[in-house]
Amino acid sequence: MNSIIITRAGTHSTIQDFGRFQYQHLGVSPSGAMDQRIITELQKIIPNHQNQFLEFAYVGPSIKVKEGSVKICVGGNCNMSIQKNNNSQLECQPYKSINLFEGDELIIHNTIDSVYGYIAFEHGLGLEPCLNSYSTDTKAGIGSINRPLNDEDIFHISKDVGSWDLISIPKPDLEKVTNFKVYPGPQLQYFSDNTLQSFISSVFTITNQSDRMGIRLKGESLISSQSHDILSEGILPGSIQVPSDGQPIVLMRDIPCTGGYPKIAILNEVDISRISQLPPETKITFDLQTIY
Amino acid sequence: MYFKGINSYGDRGLVLDFGNETSKSISQEVNETFLNISNLNLQPLNIIPSFNKIVVIFENSKIRDQNKDKISMKMKDTNSQTNKKVTKTWEIPACYNEDFALDIKIIQKLHQITKEEVINLHSSVRYYTYYIGFMPGFPYLGDVPSQLITSRLATPRVKIPARSIGIAKNHTCIYPKVSPGGWNIIGQIPFDIFDLQSSYPSLFLPGDEVKFYSVSLSEFEKIRKYNFSLNELIKEYSS
Repeated sequence: MNSIIITRAGTHSTIQDFGRFQYQHLGVSPSGAMDQRIITELQKIIPNHQNQFLEFAYVGPSIKVKEGSVKICVGGNCNMSIQKNNNSQLECQPYKSINLFEGDELIIHNTIDSVYGYIAFEHGLGLEPCLNSYSTDTKAGIGSINRPLNDEDIFHISKDVGSWDLISIPKPDLEKVTNFKVYPGPQLQYFSDNTLQSFISSVFTITNQSDRMGIRLKGESLISSQSHDILSEGILPGSIQVPSDGQPIVLMRDIPCTGGYPKIAILNEVDISRISQLPPETKITFDLQTIY
Repeated sequence: MYFKGINSYGDRGLVLDFGNETSKSISQEVNETFLNISNLNLQPLNIIPSFNKIVVIFENSKIRDQNKDKISMKMKDTNSQTNKKVTKTWEIPACYNEDFALDIKIIQKLHQITKEEVINLHSSVRYYTYYIGFMPGFPYLGDVPSQLITSRLATPRVKIPARSIGIAKNHTCIYPKVSPGGWNIIGQIPFDIFDLQSSYPSLFLPGDEVKFYSVSLSEFEKIRKYNFSLNELIKEYSS
């Protein structure tokens, strides 16, 4: 038996996978990793990840091997180090597999010029799926672990590591994007040409009121010429909805399943991952695509 | 037929439009279409019905574009619109005891009726399940009798107790678990309606009919103690 203990949980650490589908008509959000590009990359290094990825934001977790040994890999742009069981310190890098033995502690200090990072574990974390997914939706209380991780959480990984060979991939090119091509939203016609002009010509700032549910933007007020209160309808991640204060919200992975605000536009799938990595105060712009 | 057409929603989604009105007959068409699309086996990631729209999302734009035509064809094929009725009819015990009926006085005052009249009116109607949304397993039921129509609380409650029955505008609902919310709370039901351990986790499904009947506090507590599973609840309270 191998086991690890979370010695410091960090602030927003949860278990995530590629998402929970087939349940949104029952009020269950898709959830899933905010930046799906990174867990896609990590699959190459830890193919046997069992879809049980640890997601962290800003302040990373620290993880100590309590018993046995584990093989892991970190993805994202972050500062980290290993405190070996003999008290020596080891440098380590994202996208390179790491072998940890009893008493070793991986310390992820923080993400750099980005928000989310991930850890893949060989053979997963010994979790059971919930509604066919390992993702955590903390607001709905759904998941293999239905809350953020806490200090002292322990995971048991019954299978031993297959091969200690070190595997690495070139650091993926996850360049920072701040101009987003967007498609017309279902209520685009709720906004006048002038308002649409402001939407594509002005700069919006990401505020710190942003989380896995949505990214709140600050900028020119986008007031609807019709109404900011529509009959609730199904909504998709990436949708940019505009409540009555005119300040747009980009809906993210823990999306409310239905919503009653007009949606001016929607991001494409890869841009949901890209925008999730922009810290508060980042300035962004939108470019409305007419052909789609 | 209320169906108006299919529009794209981003690079992977579609919206089936059934107009801008809301009524039981529109919802019936929406929910029948929901079942028809589910049965096409197009493997969408999600199909989300609401009052007068159905949103469908696929894995990528290529699959979306291929399936858009298949859904269009299905919508034109009027012969297949008669889907076999698979919905349930529920008789749900409801306790309107003052411990649970946190906002019943607001409704009494607004409509100048007694507490008994609120209870009789609320439990007199066979409600239609428009759709499930807002939170896991939360049913939008309607329509309530006109003497009960009441707008949301001016200030939403931070913590509504689990299993509470609410009224907002012409709809009534049940909160599956503790939640913030703005509905006027008039009672509580004695069992959970969403079970994560089940692969069919929601007790109610879009299209189900739901009628409440009033039970005393002691009866409520008796049922509460049974701790019914979802399957037992289906046997006991639906037909």
